[in-house]
This record gives sequence, C-alpha cells and structure tokens, in this order.
Amino acid sequence: MSSFNSEKIAEIHRELHSKLPSEPALRVKALEGLLVEKGMIKSETIDAWIEHYTEEIGPKRGAHVVARSWLDAAFRDRLMSDAPSALDELGYLGHATGHLKAVENTPTIHNLVVCTLCSCYPFGVLGMAPNWYKTAAYRSRAVRDPRGVLAEFGVRIGDDVEVRVWDSTAELRYLVISERPQGTDGWDEAALTALVSRNSMIGTDRDLTPFVSGWTD
Amino acid sequence: MDGAHDLGGKQGFGPIEVETDFIAFHEPWQARGWAITRSTFRSDWTIDWWRHIRELIDPVDYLSRHYFDSWLQLQTAALIDSGALTMTEAVSGQAADLAPDADPMAPEAVVAIAAKAAYFDRPIDSAPAFNPGDTVRTRRMGAIGHCRLPAYAQGRSGQIHAYHGAHIFADDSARGDEHPEHIYSVVFEASELWPEAAGRRDRIYLDLWEPYLERA
Repeated sequence: MSSFNSEKIAEIHRELHSKLPSEPALRVKALEGLLVEKGMIKSETIDAWIEHYTEEIGPKRGAHVVARSWLDAAFRDRLMSDAPSALDELGYLGHATGHLKAVENTPTIHNLVVCTLCSCYPFGVLGMAPNWYKTAAYRSRAVRDPRGVLAEFGVRIGDDVEVRVWDSTAELRYLVISERPQGTDGWDEAALTALVSRNSMIGTDRDLTPFVSGWTD
Repeated sequence: MDGAHDLGGKQGFGPIEVETDFIAFHEPWQARGWAITRSTFRSDWTIDWWRHIRELIDPVDYLSRHYFDSWLQLQTAALIDSGALTMTEAVSGQAADLAPDADPMAPEAVVAIAAKAAYFDRPIDSAPAFNPGDTVRTRRMGAIGHCRLPAYAQGRSGQIHAYHGAHIFADDSARGDEHPEHIYSVVFEASELWPEAAGRRDRIYLDLWEPYLERA
C-alpha cells in the first residue's frame, strides 16, 4: 500500500539517485527487465502502447475535430458546450479528455495553453506532448511573457488582441480552436484537417492560411 | 509544496526550443519508460499522489534531467513505496521473487484502456460559495504537501469566470483522501500578477478549488 508520506518518498528518491546510473536508457532497460521478471509487465504491452501512441493517437485527431467544427455549426456548438461528447462522436475520447474545454480564437482573442505545475495535456486528442511544452522555459514563461513566447514561435500578436493563457493545473484540459483561414471556401474536411497544426491547438500557432499556389520566392 | 516544479513566472529560463512537427518519442528509452508508467499504475495510488511523487524529486534533478527521466524516477519510487518492488531489486535489476499480485496488462487491452477518459467530478451536497462574476482573492499560502494553487497566483485578486461543479480535491487526494470540492475557472489580469504587465491586454485563467478562494 502507498505510504502517502512525502518524507519517505524524498528518501527513496535520494537513494535511487545515488545508487542508479545517471544514464536513463540504462535505467529503463534494467527496470523493464526487472518488471518482466517479476511478472508485472509484458514487453509486448510496452510495444503496444508505443505503437498506439505513435500511429493512432496524435494531433491528427484534434485537427479533425477543429476542421469538423469549421464545417458543421451544430458540431461546433456541441464542441463548445460539451467537448468530451463531441470527441466521443468521432471516437476520440481518451486519456485526459474527460473534462476538455474548447476555447476559440477570434480576430481580437488569442488563446494559449500551459501547465505550470507539471505538464498536463489532452493526450487523447493531441497525442504525446511536444518537448517544449514540458520544459521549464515554456512552463515558466507562458503565463508571464506569453507574447514573447509566441514571438519565438513566429506568431506576432497585435496590441489590439487579448491573449488568454489557460494554466491547466486541475483536471480540466483545453483545446484551442483557431479561426478558419481565408481562401478555404469549398475545401473538404480532409483538406481542412491538413491545415490544422498541432501547435495551433495548444496556441503557439495562429494563422493557418495555406500557402498560395503560384507564389515563388 | 514550494518546490522547483512550481515554475509559473520564474525568470531566467529560455528561449523555447521550438518544434513544429509531431514526434511522439525522440528516443526509444523515452517511449519504453513512458509505456512502463502506463502499464504499472496501481490501484492504491491516486493521480495526485503520483504527481506529488514527481514534485518530490531532488530539485536539481527535476530541473536538469529529461522529462521522461523524471517519470522513470517517479514510477520507480512509487513502486518501491507501495511495496511492489524493493530498493534492492530496483538497484540490482534482479527480481527476488515473483510479484504476489502480478496481473500484467495484456497487449490486447491497450487500445481499450487508451480510449477511456477519467472523470473527476463527483456529487456534492453543499452549494457553491461563488457565482460567475464574483471577485475573489486566492489564499496567501500554498501547502506543505501537494497543492494546485501556483505560487504566482497566491494572495491575488481575480474574478470567477465559470463554475465547473465539484471535482476531487487534489490536495487531499494526494494523501489518499478522495472527496470533492467546488471548482471554478478564475481569471486574473496580467497586471495583477506581474509588475511589468501594466497596460497589457493579457489574462491568465486558472482552475481553482473553493478552499483556495475567499471573498474579496
């Protein structure tokens, strides 16, 4: 049974730090071998998790949700009022989506998502989080210098635009719905889905306007 | 706890290493370490206890080691704490015996488990103390143990943006006591939080449980 004792955990951390090699790949290999030997995991299950989160669960799910919301006003209403049920319609419910909220960008509002206390993320609809999302740099700065962070992603926010930072430290999760770009009238769902970047659904991308064909240097 | 994990607003970090393409895992060890954590979450843990174990990693390690390395550290410590592994086994990599309650997750179960969302809302028999539009002030202090009121938002004035019902209260859940408290999205003007933000049209939204809030 868990001790729920912080002091005991701190002591375990110190002992592990002093007795295990610093190279994480060695520690993972040893732990996997140990847990298999103990009968606690199967290596095939480890493979299955990796395959599922590499092939199936990723930002293409969220992109599909955003594109559908551009094409189907009733779906968009359901997404804005009850995002988990809208996800469920597409078969995309999963890890950390049970209390998902969709937030909309407008010409005068830009949304940005962070978790300053760990790295909470709507995995079931966006897949594994990008490295930068989990770094101290992003977590410390997104709430304090959101415009500076956005500029590093190449996103310039005008003074007339309000930036809303969602620090998702409880169990609610946030999905940013970008504006449908100009020049996409008549595009089908697959073509629109391809325009929706992973970063736009976190809020570190804003203008999804496609490259205009015929434009060269 | 006032730990190195509570990073909001801390200065000196940066710039961001921007990545645009989706790359699920950069290194095989990261993928396998992550998948081990997905396969060994135990019924005597809560998600908040699990998060707290990560916060308790030595602050130098917390800030300098890779994210997936800290998950590995957390999972190993959690398994030792709950008696599933011994320290000797973890250090030697040799099993002393079979786990008495061994019931390893089957590979065929992964897809269904990944499709399950967890829900933290629970019935509550009290009425919420605040309504959208109310001005509130956050508690001035955090807590010794796990706490989801970031340091940067302590003792600050904000407005109730939305009410979300009652969710399991993280602070107590991290001690194994699962009970609900009302939870709200609270919006703060950036200028209420940061001295350099005067005149900036930025707002920060935090989902905060009622015990973190008092009437302003």
